[in-house]
Amino acid sequence: MARRSRESHIMFLLIVGLAGWLVPGGGHAVIRKKRHAIVIFATIVVMFAIGLYIGSIGVVNPAGAKPWYLAQILNSPAVAALGHVATSGDYAVYGRPSEIGQIYTSIAGLLNLLCIVNAVYLAHVHGTAPVGD
Amino acid sequence: MPTIAAFVMASFTVPERIGVDPQSMVWLLPLVAAIAIVYKATKVPRIKAAPFIREVVVLFGSIVVFMVVTALVLYALAWLVTE
Repeated sequence: MARRSRESHIMFLLIVGLAGWLVPGGGHAVIRKKRHAIVIFATIVVMFAIGLYIGSIGVVNPAGAKPWYLAQILNSPAVAALGHVATSGDYAVYGRPSEIGQIYTSIAGLLNLLCIVNAVYLAHVHGTAPVGD
Repeated sequence: MPTIAAFVMASFTVPERIGVDPQSMVWLLPLVAAIAIVYKATKVPRIKAAPFIREVVVLFGSIVVFMVVTALVLYALAWLVTE
């Protein structure tokens, strides 16, 4: 019985982490911290959008800028689809717009990683179960 | 509606023109603001508008002041070395 509850706790932590990665702020939404979730979602999405606006979708480049891409994909798995579109089309970007766009999108991803870790930690400490459990 | 959609799509497929000049450093400010907001969102147990905004503003100011001081120190060092 005890083992099963431990397993379900680990599963819950995985769900929180996965929700935070699928949608920025999703992890906090799962542990019922709606205000935190809204603030995180709005800030990270706007930050990522500013990065794409400055540098175009060409800043998401899984082939030519792998270290940046690793940070960018922490925003959401949807970034992988964006990377596929960017590499299949002609969206080359150089110079300052490329730098600033990559910095914005990558830092948005790293901030989302911080939020995922925070949501998983809060879920572990408080043991909050999702609605319906 | 398709015109608006096309305009929005075009905004994200063509890079902006940003020169390599001191003004381009202003792009630092929205980044610092976003970092301050998200960091504070992970730190405070409950988000209430007034205290949250105050904490974000204090952190934003601290980061900007620290960066300005660092830039001035580095500028002074560079000036001392090159003079």
